Amino acid sequence: MNRSIRGCLLATGVSLAAMVSMAPSVFAQEAVIVLASNEVGQPMYNPIKGTLLNTANSMIYDRLVAQDAERGYHPHLAESWEEAEDGMAWTFKLKQGVTFHNGEPFNAQTIVDWIPLFEGSENAYLVAAIEKVEKLDEHTVRFVMKHPDPNMLYNLASAFMGVPEPKAFVALGDDFGVTEAVGTGPYRMESFDIGLETVLVRNEDYTWGTPLAENTGPAKFERLTFREIAEDSTAYLELRTGGVDVLLSVPSDFLPEVKQEDDLKLLTIQGRELTYMVMNVTKEPFTDINVRQAAALAINQQEILDNIYNGVGLAADTFLISALPEAKIADEHRISYDPDKANALLEEAGWKMGPDGVRMKDGKPLEVALWTQSDSTFRRLTEVVQAQLKAVGISGQISTFDSAMIRDQYKSGEQQMAVRSYIWDNADIVDWFFGADRLGYPNISMFVDPKAEELRAAAMTGSKSSAERVANFTAYHEYVLSQFPVSPIYQPVIGLGYNTTRVSLPDSINAPDINSTVLIDMAPAE
Amino acid sequence: MLGYIFRRLLLLVPVFLAVSVVIFSIIHLIPGDPIDNLLKIGSGPEQREIITARYGLDKPLVVQYWIWLSGVLQGDLGTAIVARRPVADLIAQALPHSLTLGLCALAFSTTFGIVLGVIAALNRDKFADQAIMGGVLLGSTMPGFWLGLLLILVFSVWLGMFPVSGARTWSALVLPVVTVGLGGTALVARVTRVAMIEAAQRDFVMLLHAKGMRPLRINLRHVLRHALIPVVTILSLRIGWILGGAVTVEVVFARPGLGTLLIKSLNQHDYPVVQACLLILAMAVMLGTLIGDVIQAAMDPRIRAALG
Repeated sequence: MNRSIRGCLLATGVSLAAMVSMAPSVFAQEAVIVLASNEVGQPMYNPIKGTLLNTANSMIYDRLVAQDAERGYHPHLAESWEEAEDGMAWTFKLKQGVTFHNGEPFNAQTIVDWIPLFEGSENAYLVAAIEKVEKLDEHTVRFVMKHPDPNMLYNLASAFMGVPEPKAFVALGDDFGVTEAVGTGPYRMESFDIGLETVLVRNEDYTWGTPLAENTGPAKFERLTFREIAEDSTAYLELRTGGVDVLLSVPSDFLPEVKQEDDLKLLTIQGRELTYMVMNVTKEPFTDINVRQAAALAINQQEILDNIYNGVGLAADTFLISALPEAKIADEHRISYDPDKANALLEEAGWKMGPDGVRMKDGKPLEVALWTQSDSTFRRLTEVVQAQLKAVGISGQISTFDSAMIRDQYKSGEQQMAVRSYIWDNADIVDWFFGADRLGYPNISMFVDPKAEELRAAAMTGSKSSAERVANFTAYHEYVLSQFPVSPIYQPVIGLGYNTTRVSLPDSINAPDINSTVLIDMAPAE
Repeated sequence: MLGYIFRRLLLLVPVFLAVSVVIFSIIHLIPGDPIDNLLKIGSGPEQREIITARYGLDKPLVVQYWIWLSGVLQGDLGTAIVARRPVADLIAQALPHSLTLGLCALAFSTTFGIVLGVIAALNRDKFADQAIMGGVLLGSTMPGFWLGLLLILVFSVWLGMFPVSGARTWSALVLPVVTVGLGGTALVARVTRVAMIEAAQRDFVMLLHAKGMRPLRINLRHVLRHALIPVVTILSLRIGWILGGAVTVEVVFARPGLGTLLIKSLNQHDYPVVQACLLILAMAVMLGTLIGDVIQAAMDPRIRAALG
C-alpha cells in the first residue's frame, strides 16, 4: 500500500516537473514586453472606437504628428503643416512612399476618408472642430475648421489619432482591431488574445519612422509580444526571473529593486501623472483662503519625494506637469513648502495652537477629513501628508475609499480635503478639475470663481493660435493656484525596466511617454 | 429519476430570476458610474448626457432590468459599455481559461485529497495523520492571493521550475492549479479520512477481518468504496465552484479568465460585463448543485427510494 502511494505521488511529481516549459523569449529576435498595469484589458486595437489604448497600439498605427519629451511637435506621417492666421484652416503635407500593412497607399485620400470615421464615436471630440477635409493634391490636405482649435496638434499626436487604413476599417466593422488591425506602423498585428497577450511582427517595408527616434527604418526585433499582467508583484517577478524582457512601467514599489539587480536597468522618463492635495473651498475651514494657503504650504514636497519615492521623480510646485509650457509660471505662484508662513497664516486666521498640537478657534479644533483611495501608495502618501499637516497644527482624519467608488463620493460634495492624482499632459486639465460646471467631480474643490471662469473661457475657447492658448492657460493656471484650492505634491516618472542581457535601449528617450519612438530603437543585446 | 430531474430544473427558473434581480440591483446600487470612464478630459456635460442615453442608462432601473433580462433570455448579453465589444465575445474568450484552471484544480484536489485522506485514515492519530491534516488545513486557510505569490517565490524565483505567470503553456498552469486546488484538497482529505474511519468500524469490515482477508485489500477494495459516497457528493457540489473559485488567483497569475474580466469590469463599472460574469458564476453554482444532487441520488438507493 505505502509503496503504491509513494509511487503514485512520485509519478505525479515527475509529470508536473515535466511540464516545465521554455522561457517565452528564447528566440533572439523576439522581445517580451509587459504592458503597464493600467493598460491591461484593452479590448481592441481600434483608435477610432477604443476608449483605452495600450502601448502596442502605437507600434501598429503611426500618427500625423509626433511629440517629443518637451511636448514639442514634430513631423511624422505629416511632413509639414501650416495654420491659417485666423485659425480657420490647417494645411498638411503628407509623407510620400508610405504604405499600410495591407499594401494600400497612404495619401491625401486616406485623410479625407479617415476623419469622417470618427463621427458618432466616443473620440469624436478630437475632430469636432473640423468642418471638412479637402484634398489639395495627392499628398496635401486642408482641414477647414468650424472654429479655431489651437489644440489641433495635440489631438493629432494623440494615440487615438493613429491612422488606420480606412477601407479595411469599414470592411471589417466591429472586427477591426480585434481580428485584424491595419496601420502604417513599424509592426503589424499577428495575434491578439484579450487580457493575455498581443503578438506583433515587424513591418519589413517600414522606412518612415519619426526623426525623434535613432532608427527610422525597420524595427530591430522581428517579433514583439506584449503581455498583460495586472498584478504588480507578478510583473516584477517575471522581469526578475527572465520570463519577460521589458516592463513598460515598473511599479513604484519595485523601482529600488530594479535599480539593485545587476542584469536589470531602469530607464526613466518624465510621466504624465501629478499627485496633489485638494481642498473643498465651500467647506469650513477651507472657506478661508488663509487656511487653504497654510495647508498648501505645510506640504513638504521634497521630503515626500525623498522618503516615499526614494528620490525618483520630481517635487511638484504647479498643478501641471513640468514639461508643459503652461507650467512655466511666475515664481510667486508656485506652491512650495514654507512652514513658517503656514503657521503665521493660521495665527492670522485666528487658529491658535492648542496643547495637543492641534490649533483651536472659538473652542473648535482644526480637524479636517482627509480622503484618499485605498491603494497602498495613496494610503502611505496620505499618512505622510497627515503628519505634515499636523506639524502646523491641522489634524487630518484619514478616510479611505475604494478607487472605483471614490468618484461617486466626491459627487456628494462632502469632502473637505483629499489626496489624489491625475494622468494627463495638456493644460486643459485645469479646466477639467476647476471648471464651475463640473462641481463634485471632477471639480472636487467645488471651486467657483468669476475671474477664474473668465480666464477659463479665454483659455478654452478664446484662443486662436497655439501661442495664444499657452498664454491664456498660463494665466488661468496662475490664477487658480493663487486661490489655493490645491497643493501640488509629486510628479512620478515612468520607469521602464529591462533585462540588459536580452535587450538594449538608448540611454535617453525623447518622447512624452513609452511609445513607438522608444521601442523602435530597442535592439537585441549584443 | 427523470421526474426528479425535471422538477429540479423547473425550480431553477424562479431561482434564476431571483439571482438576476439581486445581481442587477447590487451592480446598479453600488457607487460608481461607467460614464466616468468614457468621458475624455475636455468633454462637456452634454457629452455625458449623450453617452448616458446611448447606453440606456438614463432609463428607470426597472426598464433597464427588463431590457437586460429579455436580452439574456434571447441569448444576447449586450455590449460592454467601456470595452465596446459584445459581452458574449469577452466571455467566450475568458471562459476556456477559467474552465481549464477550475477543472484541473478539481482534479488536483480530488486526487490528492483522496490519497492524503486515505493515508491519514490508515495512520489515524499517528504523526502522519496529524502532519497531513495540519498541512492541508494550513494550505487551505491561506488566502489564494497570498499563497499564489508564495508559490511563485519558491517554485519560480528560487527553484526556477515553473513560469511566474501566463496562460500559453501547460507549465504555467501548475502553480495556479495548486493554489486553487489546495482549498478543495483539505476538504476532500478530511471527508475521506472521516468516511474511511467510520466505514472501517462497520460490521462487514470486522467480518472481512475475521475471514482473514489482508488489511490492505479490505481498506482499498471495501472500506474506500463505501467511504467514497460522501466524497463524491462533496466533489459534485464543488463543480459549481470551478468557475468562481479562482477570481483573485487568476489576477495573481495573469490568466485572462472570468475572474480577471470580472475584476477589471468591476473597477470600470462596466455593468453588462459584470452582470454577465456574475450570472454565469451563479448559474454554474446552481447547475453544479443540481448535478451533485442527481449524482447523489444515482449513487444512493435510499435517496432514490425516498424520491419515489
